[in-house]
Amino acid sequence: MDKLMADLKEQIIEQLNLQDVKPEEIGDDQPLFGDGLGLDSIDALELIVLLQQKYKVKLSNAEEGPKIFRSVRTIAEFIENSKIPNA
Amino acid sequence: MYIRAASNISPQNTFGNQPFLSELVEYTGDKLSCIEPDYKALIDPKLIRRMSRIIKMGVACGMDCLQQAGIDLPDAIITGTAYGCLEDTNTFLSKMVQQNEEALAPTAFIQSTHNTISAQIALLLQCHSYNNTFVNGGASFENALLDAMMLLREGGARNILVGGIDEITINSHAILKRMGLYRRQSISPFELLNFPDKGTMAGEGAAFFLLSNQPSDNAWAKIDGVSGFYKPRNTAEIQQQISNFLSSQSISIDDIDLVLTGKNGDTKNDSVYQQMQHAVFIETPVIGYKHLCGEYPTSSAFALWLAANILKTGGVPAALEQAGTPVKKILIYNHYQNTHHSLILLSAC
Repeated sequence: MDKLMADLKEQIIEQLNLQDVKPEEIGDDQPLFGDGLGLDSIDALELIVLLQQKYKVKLSNAEEGPKIFRSVRTIAEFIENSKIPNA
Repeated sequence: MYIRAASNISPQNTFGNQPFLSELVEYTGDKLSCIEPDYKALIDPKLIRRMSRIIKMGVACGMDCLQQAGIDLPDAIITGTAYGCLEDTNTFLSKMVQQNEEALAPTAFIQSTHNTISAQIALLLQCHSYNNTFVNGGASFENALLDAMMLLREGGARNILVGGIDEITINSHAILKRMGLYRRQSISPFELLNFPDKGTMAGEGAAFFLLSNQPSDNAWAKIDGVSGFYKPRNTAEIQQQISNFLSSQSISIDDIDLVLTGKNGDTKNDSVYQQMQHAVFIETPVIGYKHLCGEYPTSSAFALWLAANILKTGGVPAALEQAGTPVKKILIYNHYQNTHHSLILLSAC
């Protein structure tokens, strides 16, 4: 989980071109939208693409978006919970 | 139509509080890329992260121009660009191919439209007035100017922000070079005009102007007229077009102190100017400007900045080797690919 969150922080910075932000500056539970990292609706679309591209995880219910994208930890939990269990 | 302020990001040191072309920047290779300022001082860093190079150039230049003029909110924003946001278009199309048309990131797509720059400026200013972008190849900037001129004459606006922007990208440069537009061998831009051959040097730039229908004490220059013509059949037609334009301004070529032509070192391109020099501009000093900014479809915006600066300062900078004569009236004559020809007449205020 820690490794996944660390990777996510790097990918969020790269995908959203957060030029002055370092991975260690993003807290695991820090809010990503609003007063936190200050992301907006276009960033949400970029994050959906990131999840689909890198983790092959699709967001099927848009209403769950605010809950899933609340913080790096909630995104990581969503990815973990969406993994198809090994047969 | 008066130029109240002008801002220019180009391959020369032209942006910000710089002396007017006191020292020219030398290049080697086959392209002249812009010297870009520190955008963080000009644009909110939160917005910069979504802007590609051409958007940053255009937005910074437009905002700087407004600041210089002391205008918070223009009555209209009009831009001209032939290629638009090429880098974003390239990013978006490449990802379509790489990702098999699935899960495409939205930012490059959103930013790839041609009207992005004028829209970004309007968003930053919260300017809900007239906003238009002309995409007419080598006549894009001239059409933006004509639109501004008509708007001012009709009384629909008093202060208009007008800009011309185009960028070089790795792909566009490679494609246009393959089409034979640029030199095969490296040459200094300062030697470009003296040694005509096949091809020229690529260029890019962003130049913005705050145009007003009212004279002011600090106006740079006055634009008397703008005219364009398309694919002239022969030299005689070009000559006639120039003659008609000067007649419409009630002047003759003897009233012009300086002609600024779009000479670019390409033999075929420059033969048009040579013929005009022998037929029309016989006694009038003629200088080129594309060795400073390179060739691109909206380079006439750079020419307008150069001409306005010459009129503002009262003379041609020494670096252009035409210093001495006081200049009060300038004619810019440019053509792009012998397709789009334009004439812009300026006078000192």
